[in-house]
Amino acid sequence: MRVVPSQPDLGADAAARKQASAMIEIDRVSQVFRTSGRQDHLALSEISLTIEDGAFVSILGPSGCGKSTLLYIVGGFVSPTSGAAKMRGKVITGPGPDRGPVFQEFALFPWKSVLGNVMYGPRQQGVRHAEAEAQSRALIEMVGLKGFENFYPKELSGGMKQRVALARTLAYHPAVLLMDEPFGALDAHTRTRLQNDLLNIWERDRKTVLFVTHSVEEAVYLSDKVVVMTRSPGRIKEIVDIDLPRPRRRAELLLDPHYQKYVVDIEGMIDDTSEDELRP
Amino acid sequence: MISMRMLVSRLAPLLACLGLLGVWQLGALILDTDSFPTAIDAIRAVPSILGDKESLINILASLRRMAVGYSLAVAVSIPLGLMMGRSRGVASFFNPLLMVIYPVPKAALMPIIMLWLGVGDVAKTLVIFLGVSLPVIYHSFQGAKAVEEKMLWSGAAMGLSAAQRMIRIVLPAALPEILTGCRTGLVLALITMVTSEMIARQSGAGNILFNALDMGQYDTVYAMIIIIGAMGIGLDAAFERLRSRLVKWSEPRFEIPLSFA
Repeated sequence: MRVVPSQPDLGADAAARKQASAMIEIDRVSQVFRTSGRQDHLALSEISLTIEDGAFVSILGPSGCGKSTLLYIVGGFVSPTSGAAKMRGKVITGPGPDRGPVFQEFALFPWKSVLGNVMYGPRQQGVRHAEAEAQSRALIEMVGLKGFENFYPKELSGGMKQRVALARTLAYHPAVLLMDEPFGALDAHTRTRLQNDLLNIWERDRKTVLFVTHSVEEAVYLSDKVVVMTRSPGRIKEIVDIDLPRPRRRAELLLDPHYQKYVVDIEGMIDDTSEDELRP
Repeated sequence: MISMRMLVSRLAPLLACLGLLGVWQLGALILDTDSFPTAIDAIRAVPSILGDKESLINILASLRRMAVGYSLAVAVSIPLGLMMGRSRGVASFFNPLLMVIYPVPKAALMPIIMLWLGVGDVAKTLVIFLGVSLPVIYHSFQGAKAVEEKMLWSGAAMGLSAAQRMIRIVLPAALPEILTGCRTGLVLALITMVTSEMIARQSGAGNILFNALDMGQYDTVYAMIIIIGAMGIGLDAAFERLRSRLVKWSEPRFEIPLSFA
């Protein structure tokens, strides 16, 4: 009688545990855009990345590095040319309410009021009207828009629209928030306020967040992990763990030498990237 | 001060009407020919036309054809335009067809249609249908094409299927543009209605007008023009009222009203 070696079992166990904590796995994803006339454009090349449950991960890179495309692939809005993105171990084949996008363009439904926009997801999920309304009103209050429930999007400022978009996405309880340069179209003051509010909201339930940005300060301020990408083709250049205590206070952080070092270091990585491009 | 300006802007279309009638009246008095009665004479002839049972039946028959042709056109054109706007395949199938039909005056097809379908309701309704379809298709197409991709993605993430996105996102998002097409279509329906009755002289408001012209009853001719014109203005105003209610969410706040609504 042979003793079954226990080593492989332990290995499988560890793998299973790793699997459980990995919310999103991006496995050798490449994306080629066919362009008429010119050569095909390789937007993403062999990207592999694991995002743990509850992590706030930023993808940082110059415009045109394919960082938004990567987010759209995780969202299921775009299919990768090769490779696969997985959510909780299952290959992503299309959009779903477990992954909630927030776009730079807000993409609110202009024919719906603020309340109507926020209620849209829960109603689609089959939540009863009264319940959906109560939840939505609470969310609208949480994003600081109490009193604006019956306003139409056209009557709101950019910052307010993005607050509605965030509430609308949070309303259907996605496991992952996919934020595509959400504050990119806002003025500096509004952006700062929304970053602070986003962090406060995130501290409550620590949802997994994939956050695309081209601002180094924003990425360092918000994230647990910053993925720095290069351009043409989009590749991961470096992954930086941001080891700063939470909850983070912007005023303290700006004076913190650790924070400053992260920002300077990462800016350096991006500088290198642009020099790479100058080579023939 | 502001209420005074509002009053003027509200009364402006009415003042424009009165102005036109005044010019007409003066012109007719100066020219003084049989074929150009004064505005007052023409207006006087209106009640006698509307009081006449025969004429009233004719006018109502016209309106019924117009309503049927218009409704059918809208019911077919909106879904077609929206699908063309969202699917390259559908668009490239129908586009060449529409490009050929677009510049052809629909009334010019009337003789052929009469040859096939006779001079009755079907032929006339078909011409109205054709006249209304194109602007509604075109505007629905443009409206659907302009719908933000990210808006559809947001819907997809909420769990809306492709068909649900079409009805619950593309349709409402394109509605302002669609209704612009429907408004143009409404006026075109009136035009094709009169033209069809001018060619297929059997019944209808256009028939009264051209019969009166043949018999030299110029008061009736001009009175019919007033009646048809008033129908157009009334329908347009009613439509505009409905439209602004439906797309309140998209209206810019300050705008010169382009209708009687």
